[in-house]
Amino acid sequence: MKPMITFSNIDKWYGEYRALTTINAEISKGEVVVVCGPSGSGKSTLIRTVNRLEGIQGGQILFEGHDIHGTDANVNRLRSRIGFVFQSFNLFPHLSVLDNITLSPTKVKGLKGAAAKKHAMELLDRVGMAHKAGAYPGQLSGGQQQRVAIARALAMEPPVMLFDEPTSALDPEMVGEVLSVMRGLAKEGMTMMCVTHEMNFAREVADTIWFMDAGQILEKATPEVFFTQPAHPRAQRFISDLRSH
Amino acid sequence: MLDVFSILHSNWELLLIGQYPNGPMGGLVNTLILSALALVIAFPLSILLAMARISPFRALRYPAFVWVYVLRGIPLLLVIFWTYFLVPVLIGHNISAFATMLCTLVIYQSAYLSEIVRGGIQALPHGQYEAARALGMGYWRAMGWVILPQALYNALPSMISQFVSIIKETTLGYIINMQELTFSANQVNNQLLTKPFQVYFILAVTYFCICYSLTRLAGAVEKRIERKRKGEHGGSAVAKAPVELASTDLSR
Amino acid sequence: MIKDFDLGPILTGEYATLMLQGAELTLKLMLFAWLLAMSLAFLLVVVRLTGNKFAERLVAGYVAYHRNVPTLVQLMLWYFGVPTLLPESVQLWLANYSTEFIFAVIALGLCQAAYFCEDLRAGLRAIPDGQTEAARALGLGYVRSMRYVILPQGIRNSLPSLINHTVLLFKNTSLAMAIGVVELTYATREVENYTFRTFESYSVATVGYLVFSLLLMGIGALIARRFELARAR
Repeated sequence: MKPMITFSNIDKWYGEYRALTTINAEISKGEVVVVCGPSGSGKSTLIRTVNRLEGIQGGQILFEGHDIHGTDANVNRLRSRIGFVFQSFNLFPHLSVLDNITLSPTKVKGLKGAAAKKHAMELLDRVGMAHKAGAYPGQLSGGQQQRVAIARALAMEPPVMLFDEPTSALDPEMVGEVLSVMRGLAKEGMTMMCVTHEMNFAREVADTIWFMDAGQILEKATPEVFFTQPAHPRAQRFISDLRSH
Repeated sequence: MLDVFSILHSNWELLLIGQYPNGPMGGLVNTLILSALALVIAFPLSILLAMARISPFRALRYPAFVWVYVLRGIPLLLVIFWTYFLVPVLIGHNISAFATMLCTLVIYQSAYLSEIVRGGIQALPHGQYEAARALGMGYWRAMGWVILPQALYNALPSMISQFVSIIKETTLGYIINMQELTFSANQVNNQLLTKPFQVYFILAVTYFCICYSLTRLAGAVEKRIERKRKGEHGGSAVAKAPVELASTDLSR
Repeated sequence: MIKDFDLGPILTGEYATLMLQGAELTLKLMLFAWLLAMSLAFLLVVVRLTGNKFAERLVAGYVAYHRNVPTLVQLMLWYFGVPTLLPESVQLWLANYSTEFIFAVIALGLCQAAYFCEDLRAGLRAIPDGQTEAARALGLGYVRSMRYVILPQGIRNSLPSLINHTVLLFKNTSLAMAIGVVELTYATREVENYTFRTFESYSVATVGYLVFSLLLMGIGALIARRFELARAR
């Protein structure tokens, strides 16, 4: 079966600084990939190239067979099939929770108001936020906002969900509620790519772990292998640093 | 349009210094003298007014509040007319147009400046005042040695902007026949009669050069303060007047 | 002066009519100037958004001119200076009409547009980058992101400054008296000249301006609070 996302020889520079070096990887349908590594390793940069929030100077990223960075790519259409969850939630403060979720389906997909609303309420129920449908983002806690952000991304019914450090900006006691939503999604068979520091989550939920440092993927392994006997010396140092906490 | 230069050449004295030495000082020099004097006198008054605005005593706070809001709500021109009418009544004899403008600008600007100073004081972390009191300083010492120096330094760019506003406000002196730059320009125009656009163009360009340079200065000072303050404790950034303020010609 | 304070002559009869007409003209002047200023400001912001360097400099120059040249001088330049630039035939045609009001509207409107433009620009700048990214990540194109996400927030952010500057515009209408527009301040002076009741006529004008300014500020505060964006915690 053809993979859902393919990275071929991805290179990216910020001026003189090389952010990504010859990245080659694949994500299959239903696979959950967790990308981890030290700060500045290029993890966020990599995930942001998938829906073209960042550009690339070399290589090709294929999503469902389409070249995302191609000059004739229909970026908006492709983006509507990729769900993205940000570290800083980025909910729209001038719209209610419900309007945040129905905005894209009604404007981009052309869904009718009532149908969009019904779907939105189902999603809110799924993330446990149905009781706050009329609230505004400013009235919600961080964990609540992130769950709404996940529902907003799901509203377009994308086949793949990208998470860019979804819990890094949350107070510790709210991390759990967001991770359990993500866990639920993984169980339902969603294709996911997550950049995260939550290693327990990675151990439980990931099918594959990509370890990155200095703009390269140094190791790809299953959680069992990665957490017990990583191959790459840098990965070994990473794991031992984790254990010593 | 080239006659702009010939007009300037023949009339620069009138525009710069009015009829001096054959008459009172006028023109651009008078404009700048008036503006500087107004700022210098209004400044200490504005500090007192700002302190009254945030004072714990209602007897001080309420009148200060009313005073500032009234001056913000009526046009400067009306304040000029009031001053022109009331001051002679109060002191028994007429006063010159220069004195009228000076009084008006001092009254008007002390209200606006006080809002800027108040903004500067309130933008400081409360801990500064607490620390000063904890060291044993009384209210006045704390204000004088700790709070005001910092607040005023932070408010420096806004003060420069207010100076620009004052310069622009001096043009209203023309309406009461005060000998400032706009009045001189009108005199030139009345002599020439056929080249109003060129004359007023010169007038506009003159004000533009002065005000624009001062505005740039304010921007440079602001950047310098931001850099210094960010380096020290990433705390109080440059003080601006609270958002509800509208000066006559707010140039920031 | 205090003991024969008598509002009678001012508040009744022909003088009252004069004052009221002045007030009416003030409000008309303000309304037209405001509409001109707002439309132009939006246009300037759109031009700025295109990212064209030349356009940016043009708009920056426009704003710098109107904020650094005194409003009175701008009025004079328009009323006394600009007509002489027009062709003879147009000047002769214009002489049939009292053009003070039109030029006052133009001068005040153009001046105010510079302030409104900067307010809108600051309001847009205050929006975090993440908002654009989130809108684009959802598949909303440039126009839709602007229309549903960015502009609504930008305008809400600019509201306090816009209201401030609207009050400023209202007060600036008094400057039009210098070019002969019979607005409230001019009318007040006329009434004062006829009746010699300086204190009373000035007081009425002061109250008039104050009431309307405070009204504007009050309405503004209400609107701002209604649309206030509660920031994310």
